[in-house]
Amino acid sequence: MSGAAVRNRIGGALKLLTRNRYRFPSAAILLVVIALVATGCAGTSPEDGGGEGGGELTWAIGGSEAAPGGVHREIAAMWNEENPDTPIRIDRLPDDAGEQRQQQSLELNAEGSGFDVLGMDVIWTGEYSVNGWLESLEDVRDEIEEVSIPGAFESATWEGELWAGPYNSNAGFLYYRTDLVDEPPTTWDEAVEMGLEVGKKEGISPFVAQGAQYEGMVVNFLEYYWGAGGELFNEDASEVLWDEGLALEAVEFMRDSVENGFYASGFNTFLEEESRNEFQSGKAVFLRNWPYVYGLASDEAESEIAGKFDIAPLPTFTGEGTISALGGFNNAVSAFSDNKEAAKEFVVWASTNEDVQTLLGQSSLPPTMASVYEELQDDPVMKLLGEVLPDAKPRPPAPTWNDISVTIQQEIFPAYNGQKDPQEAVEAVGAFLEESIQE
Amino acid sequence: MSATTVAGRAPAVKKQRGLSDTGLARLFLSPSVLVMALVAAFPIIYAFVLSLYLYQGRLREGFGGLENYTEALTEPRFWDAVKATFIFTITSVSGEFAIGLGFALIMRQAFHGRGITRASILVPWVIPTVIAAQLWYFMFSVTPGFVNHILGLDRFNWLGEPGWAMFSIVFADVWKTAPFVALLLLAGLQTIPDELYESARVDGATTWQRFRFITMPLLKPAILVALLFRTVDALRVFDLPQVMTGGANNTESLSMLVQRFVVVTLDPGFGSALSTLTFILVLMIGVLFVRALGRDFVVGTGGE
Repeated sequence: MSGAAVRNRIGGALKLLTRNRYRFPSAAILLVVIALVATGCAGTSPEDGGGEGGGELTWAIGGSEAAPGGVHREIAAMWNEENPDTPIRIDRLPDDAGEQRQQQSLELNAEGSGFDVLGMDVIWTGEYSVNGWLESLEDVRDEIEEVSIPGAFESATWEGELWAGPYNSNAGFLYYRTDLVDEPPTTWDEAVEMGLEVGKKEGISPFVAQGAQYEGMVVNFLEYYWGAGGELFNEDASEVLWDEGLALEAVEFMRDSVENGFYASGFNTFLEEESRNEFQSGKAVFLRNWPYVYGLASDEAESEIAGKFDIAPLPTFTGEGTISALGGFNNAVSAFSDNKEAAKEFVVWASTNEDVQTLLGQSSLPPTMASVYEELQDDPVMKLLGEVLPDAKPRPPAPTWNDISVTIQQEIFPAYNGQKDPQEAVEAVGAFLEESIQE
Repeated sequence: MSATTVAGRAPAVKKQRGLSDTGLARLFLSPSVLVMALVAAFPIIYAFVLSLYLYQGRLREGFGGLENYTEALTEPRFWDAVKATFIFTITSVSGEFAIGLGFALIMRQAFHGRGITRASILVPWVIPTVIAAQLWYFMFSVTPGFVNHILGLDRFNWLGEPGWAMFSIVFADVWKTAPFVALLLLAGLQTIPDELYESARVDGATTWQRFRFITMPLLKPAILVALLFRTVDALRVFDLPQVMTGGANNTESLSMLVQRFVVVTLDPGFGSALSTLTFILVLMIGVLFVRALGRDFVVGTGGE
């Protein structure tokens, strides 16, 4: 059960008990204590923000940016200053996107009103809307579409209808050590060659990225596969374009990288943070990661490589162009919210307010508002994002994406780790993709 | 006159109190039986009912009979999970038993600081499993890699190698629950009267003979209880592999598989079928233990 649900329940019990508080003084006091402890850092009792008109909004969003001091908190504080009647409170979800989805789907599946605004990974749009968990945003479509970059806007729609307000976008970068490498590689072959040579000389790992069995590995795999020229589906997801030959090329590359030591030892247990820590403590030549690393790795107090690294587009197999998976989060209004109007206002505000979007950009979280990119042109992260984002590819936000992703994890992970025949794995993924569009 | 009234009344009163002792007991027990039924039986039955339906995502598509079960039993992933669960159970329970018995025998000896030893040995068991799992994840992971540091290994990938990944999980589990086994066995040891050892010593029995012919037979009920608890627990393992490997490298347990289908990629019918199969498996093994235990208790009381 989510924290919000627990608190609501305690709030309800409290209401019942306070009515008879002269009869049950000690029980009432005890419950007040429990409720206060449960709401903890929020500092308000649930009674202040209860369901009757106005009231407090709950924003269910995860990741390190949702932690105290994170940019999501700053944005919530900005909103609260402007809208004291409908303040918003962050209900912090776990770091792993898969676990965030679980927390949200448990609450939404039970039609719980614990979350008003949902911080939603771009790949969940289809699933959530088909499940009837989201409030349509068609009536505010124009004001959002006008200011958003097309890729990010697209990720908030499903079957032509707008379901969320674009909030932040994301794309993969290649981080490299400027003190060890003169020019960033443009092909993977070049990266392997440079990485192995420099790594051997310095006694560090050539390359770290996200290799554990989870969604992040799927993103990394797809970047190789897309970079080799592959596709998953056609435009309207009615036909599977899975190319076994290209997929095999991608898997073989990953498998070779494990064997020849291009991938660091422990690669297949790394998530975003593990790979960032390796790179940031100077133990790797190259890192594939999201823009958020830039700010953290530049922090001289925390990072051993501050000033000794730079960013470049991800390599491809041919050396032509660049490819990245499009990531990011959008804000949606829960269909079970008690306060949909205020929640919708917040979602639109977060998508279209220039101050909010600029703040995101300054925190190395790619904004979705086109005008902010022009404004922040001098920022190296924004500059590279301007180059990379137009070519970034979204994972299909289909209702079945989660099943597809789990299948890719199940098949490709053992294949690249030498525990399964790559050909078999690639065929199994193809078969599952076919199955997924027939449903 | 009054005598007749009294005599006439008495049977009436008796009739009013007409519940037999058994009936009364049943009446008094019925609320708790009802609560038990609601709390324990209802979810089991409900899961079984769900397992008979076919789902597409969260939408029910129709009645499928045993289709979910045949699908589960022909699914290689199910058998991989069964295999991983059994490997985990057998290795972790034997490790915990061996170490737990050792601890218990040591703690039974009177020595200076015994109280502190007993308390401190229980510390791992008191730590919540998820926290212990996260702790051991950091210990075994390549970065920061305390285990590698202690063993002088450079960057051995404990959690990323099949076999070693399972070893790490079993190691963490043994560390965590050996104290629990020790506690149960210690309780068993303390019921064995000292006189038995004394007279055996008088008869010239060696330490090994005393252990083999006094401790082991009299400890058997406690051993079975400890093994029952640990086996049933180990068969349902979730937290450790979930946190330490996420089920990669052949460490996906049955409970993780169930959770995948009930929560992650939603298929309540298939997930319920998996959980029912897990339930049957755990129940069967539990019944085997209880049988062995029951016989032993009878033998035990007979001996006294």
